[in-house]
Amino acid sequence: MNGNAYLPQLARIIHIKEEVPGARAIKTFRVEFMNGGGFDHEPGQCAMISVFGKGESMISIASAPTITDYKQFSIMRSGRVTTAIHDMKVGDVIGVRGPYGNRFPVGDWKGRNLVFIGGGCGLAPIWPVIQTAVANRSDFGRITVFYGGRTSRDIMYAAELEKLRGEADVYLSIDSPEDGWDGYCGFVPANVMDKPQNPHNAIAITCGPPIMIKFVINNLREMGFADEQIYTTIENKMKCGIGKCGRCNVGKDYVCVKGPVYSWAQLKSLPQEY
Amino acid sequence: MDAILQKESLGRWIAKLQERGEVYAPEFVEDAWEFTKVERGASVELDHTNTVLPAKGFVFPQREVLYRFRIENGKTPELTDTELSVKPMVVFGVRPCDGRATVRNDRVFTCGVSDPYYQARRDSVVFIGLACNAPPSPNCFCVAVGGSPCSEDGLDVLMTDLDGRYHVKALTDKGRDVVNAASDLFQAATAADRNEVSNAQVAALEYPQRSISAMDLVVAALKRNFESPLWDQLARTCIGCGACTYLCPTCHCFDINDEVTSKSPLTGARVRTWDNCQFPDFTMHSSGHNPREDTGARLRQRICHKLLYFVETHNMQQCTGCGRCITHCPVGIDIVRIANVMEEGVWQ
Ligand SMILES: Cc1cc2nc3c(=O)[nH]c(=O)nc-3n(C[C@H](O)[C@H](O)[C@H](O)COP(=O)(O)OP(=O)(O)OC[C@H]3O[C@@H](n4cnc5c(N)ncnc54)[C@H](O)[C@@H]3O)c2cc1C
Ligand code: SF4
Ligand code: SF4
Ligand code: FES
Repeated sequence: MNGNAYLPQLARIIHIKEEVPGARAIKTFRVEFMNGGGFDHEPGQCAMISVFGKGESMISIASAPTITDYKQFSIMRSGRVTTAIHDMKVGDVIGVRGPYGNRFPVGDWKGRNLVFIGGGCGLAPIWPVIQTAVANRSDFGRITVFYGGRTSRDIMYAAELEKLRGEADVYLSIDSPEDGWDGYCGFVPANVMDKPQNPHNAIAITCGPPIMIKFVINNLREMGFADEQIYTTIENKMKCGIGKCGRCNVGKDYVCVKGPVYSWAQLKSLPQEY
Repeated sequence: MDAILQKESLGRWIAKLQERGEVYAPEFVEDAWEFTKVERGASVELDHTNTVLPAKGFVFPQREVLYRFRIENGKTPELTDTELSVKPMVVFGVRPCDGRATVRNDRVFTCGVSDPYYQARRDSVVFIGLACNAPPSPNCFCVAVGGSPCSEDGLDVLMTDLDGRYHVKALTDKGRDVVNAASDLFQAATAADRNEVSNAQVAALEYPQRSISAMDLVVAALKRNFESPLWDQLARTCIGCGACTYLCPTCHCFDINDEVTSKSPLTGARVRTWDNCQFPDFTMHSSGHNPREDTGARLRQRICHKLLYFVETHNMQQCTGCGRCITHCPVGIDIVRIANVMEEGVWQ
């Protein structure tokens, strides 16, 4: 990175998709860099999104690294900046700086079975990993995707998940029964418990609300997954993204630099402040 | 390079430096010592103990514009980077604990991705230190954290008060430059002068300071006591005012916010300001989840950052023993006492 690390590049919104309605709505934005800008990213990395006049938010880059025409972000409406971006339309311009953080070590997982477990907005950070695995399908063993939302309307990437069924075992869940729902009813960790995964030669990648991650990790360990076989991401509050503002630390690590991707073996050695 | 400056020549040295930029020095304003801009012709006497606010603000201001934005209705945003050339500034009377703080702040702001705003100021600001060879303040403990009342670390020049004259030692190129700018005011230092400086340094170390009984064991003690109920007990009286971190020369946390000056066209600035790990919303997500929910967890963060995490990352404490956080805490929360309590494992 050269020049001023705080100065974002300008990017135009070229496509908006409403994933999930309601108070904590999720929309997926595709943005195209202007003035010949842009940057490469690896699966798991994030970017700081600016809405000028409102501020910045750290958001996972949800598009596959191989896509160079645009970058995709799936954003939940939760506060000042995320609400402002939800109010924007195609053609509007935002700021983007990055990429920040480390990446999922997908290259080290060749020949392994991959088990993805996501909840809520937590499908976005692992989506580029799923995309990378599917694009190099023969490099990996079985691919399994668990994903859940509170109701059937809270399932993000619904069409993409249907398309994924040809390449992977996809198990969806919602918290309580609904007419016409033929997937699992119950929380994500319970859905995983219901379909025990063989830890042999497998890697589990989980992302979602902190409480879900906690239960998922417990369940994976019960199934025999070792700490080194479990990966997750943590979302501490962030401001600078470059290890200066002191906001995001867990113990000695600034998550914006050393994270957000951790194996459970690594995370276990840090204080539980996430 | 070292030299002798007669005390009555200090004003002329400052006047010479004012021809090139601004000069700051400690001044007693109302009821406290502050770094203030020296007006032309004003007399400066360097007889302060230490300033309430540390010298960090010269390189890391409390409020700083990162860039400005302007959006005409429907048009592409225009971003204007802040001019990063900083006018030359010389700061007199920086105590060695604040000098050592600069070494730590350099680690934060210039390692990895460099912070261009900090770097620009750091390149332009000259820190002229003043050794502490008079009795220290009641809460000084620089020696306990590896420093000394005469430390040169992080300073461009170190002055030592030798009754009627100053021994002036230039330590960096910037430092040699400010001394050379007024070379006619200085006399060569003799062996006797240097001997006097060594004696003053020895004497300075003989004044009693507060002490941490086993500093080398504090790292292990903090790790051992991470989950200890001691933290809640120690933090019970904390009112979360944040004075401890705002006044700390090594606290570097900041917030970034947009300040809007007009709605149409939309104009404003992206601004960074000092922030504070003692405030609940420092770590609170917009979902309401807060990884550091109570004052105990936040006090633990402050102390562990200073005496554990920074040691793990940079092999030095992020505390230089200036004592400000102790002196100015309204309820008497005391980092020296906490370090001792952690090692002993009890608090009565
Ligand atoms: C590594 C990482 C990846 C993330 N990926 C996504 C994603 O793909 N999609 C998504 O919807 N959200 C994601 N988040 C969470 C997102 O950053 C916050 O929801 C968002 O910053 C809230 O900003 P706001 O202004 O709308 O809320 P406000 O409550 O108004 O927040 C004000 C400021 O607080 C900070 N902040 C508040 N909550 C969080 C939080 N949970 N995490 C980090 N900073 C916070 C931000 O700096 C924000 O500008 C991610 C967070 C991190 C740290
Ligand atoms: S100065 Fe004292 S009361 Fe205020 S936040 Fe710091 S420890 Fe708490
Ligand atoms: S922690 Fe307290 S004593 Fe140490 S440098 Fe900061 S203000 Fe000074
Ligand atoms: S976001 Fe600033 S240090 Fe991590």
